[in-house]
Amino acid sequence: MTDDSSRFTSMYDECRQRVWAYVVSRAGRQVADEVVSETFAIAWRRLDDVPEPALPWLLGVARNVLRDNVRAEVRREALNAELQTWAEGDVADQVAERLSVLKALAELSEDDREILILTAWQELSPRAAAHVVGCSPAAFRVRLHRARKRLEQAMETATYSRPRVRNLSEEWS
Amino acid sequence: MNPIDQLRAARPAHLGDTPVDERTRAAELSYAMAQTRPPVRAKRKIARPVWGLSLAGAAAAVTAVAVAVSGAGGMTPRAPSSSQAAPSRTVQPKQVKLSARAVLLAAAHQAARQPDTTGAYWHTVSVRRSLWNVEGADYTVMDRQRTEGWTPAATGRGQEQWRRTQSLGAQPATPEDEAAWKQAGSPTEISVLTHRKPGDTLALPTTPGKAKVSHDALFEGDKVFWLGRNVTMKDLRGLPSEPGKLKAWLLRSYEGHGTESSGSPMSSDAWLFAVTTGLIMEMPATPQVRGAAFRMLADLKSIKVIDNVTDAEGRTGTAVTLDVRSKIRVTDKGDSGILQSRLIFDEATGQALASESVVVKPGGYQADFAPGTMWDSQVVLEAGWTDDKPA
Repeated sequence: MTDDSSRFTSMYDECRQRVWAYVVSRAGRQVADEVVSETFAIAWRRLDDVPEPALPWLLGVARNVLRDNVRAEVRREALNAELQTWAEGDVADQVAERLSVLKALAELSEDDREILILTAWQELSPRAAAHVVGCSPAAFRVRLHRARKRLEQAMETATYSRPRVRNLSEEWS
Repeated sequence: MNPIDQLRAARPAHLGDTPVDERTRAAELSYAMAQTRPPVRAKRKIARPVWGLSLAGAAAAVTAVAVAVSGAGGMTPRAPSSSQAAPSRTVQPKQVKLSARAVLLAAAHQAARQPDTTGAYWHTVSVRRSLWNVEGADYTVMDRQRTEGWTPAATGRGQEQWRRTQSLGAQPATPEDEAAWKQAGSPTEISVLTHRKPGDTLALPTTPGKAKVSHDALFEGDKVFWLGRNVTMKDLRGLPSEPGKLKAWLLRSYEGHGTESSGSPMSSDAWLFAVTTGLIMEMPATPQVRGAAFRMLADLKSIKVIDNVTDAEGRTGTAVTLDVRSKIRVTDKGDSGILQSRLIFDEATGQALASESVVVKPGGYQADFAPGTMWDSQVVLEAGWTDDKPA
């Protein structure tokens, strides 16, 4: 195996699921494999350009692939379907609370949701996340702060009404 | 509980770090690695590499896309000082009177008349200059990178492409910049903004660095250049010498997007211009093919010709130009900048002198530079066949 292919393979093994999770959280599972596959094809072609750590770069590429290939309304519908499965999937103790958080997340704008997901689920630093969305770390912090406030508000509303799983997608769209 | 923590706790289990299944992994890896990668970039990027800068520090950063190499010590011609090299950063040449087409056809005629030679290695020496804004200070430096390359005529076992690269150091771009640099205590290492991402910087030394030599087996055993796709020396030497056929040959690799990223749309004229600039600048095409390349450019509607242009080495030539949009990322909202891509050549021989990017409308990577600023240039100092061994 050449240096390039071993470097690429270890990058793939390290980041693939993170990229996949990001795409799923943006546009659902239907398109995820395809977008991930294209993202890594680009990464191979441009391997010399891929920095260390690679994850923010890969997420940035995946974001572009998603934007260029999957229309906004398709993303929204696919994510709607995805949210249904998230809500139905678990029967944990804290299911009610989890549902209210997910429901609140679903009510936010795509931009807010992306920022929160990069922070909470991808656990990126503001600097790395800013890189992914293409703004300055300072601007990202401001946007995160606002998105967090809106999430909080949406969660308060969601807590008072009992989460109704079935209506999740209807209420969201 | 903090809403971010609550959100973290609510992450669906399948979005955690579960391993990818083996079949998907195998399929995705083989799909990715089946993609062809350019072994040698025919054309440096019009925009500065978006991500390449973090590769291996300053030296690698500025050559991220360079083909080849540079000399050390006595073999390396001294780089001209910045004041000689770039007498003025803003270039305001006049439009030529002869029609653009006529000028290019004349160059085509001259190019096709040059003798065709060959040798053991195609050897090139070029210097790339790029402008950078200094972090936290109001001045600009020009970084210089020398690149020398050897590409074997032969293919087969043991044949290698060689490159030698050397940073020639960064210098204040103008006398005003020099004054500002002195005021800042004449630092020998200057931290500049990359614009790759906000706040990202790169440390450029002001003195020449060590030359780095590398050599690699030919890509896929025989591919040596990139012309929209990877080509062998034989492919290159056998290109069609009729402009229409050459254009068709090249356009077979055009997919509607730029030469660097499948995500950025690019017109076929801009794409052809970028690929043809690489062909004319850096590759040992036959004189007839070089002639055809100029004729093909003459027929592009969006080109212009500018007479009496001085390249970064102070040599005078004629430029064929095309305006391209400049964005840091395809998805960037807001206005993109406009850069003028120039191929500067000697009308008497059709020999390329340099390719440059000049700011027409600030934006993208060039947001901080005034219209007329030469933002990036690559001059060809040598391009010819040699029987001498590399490095």
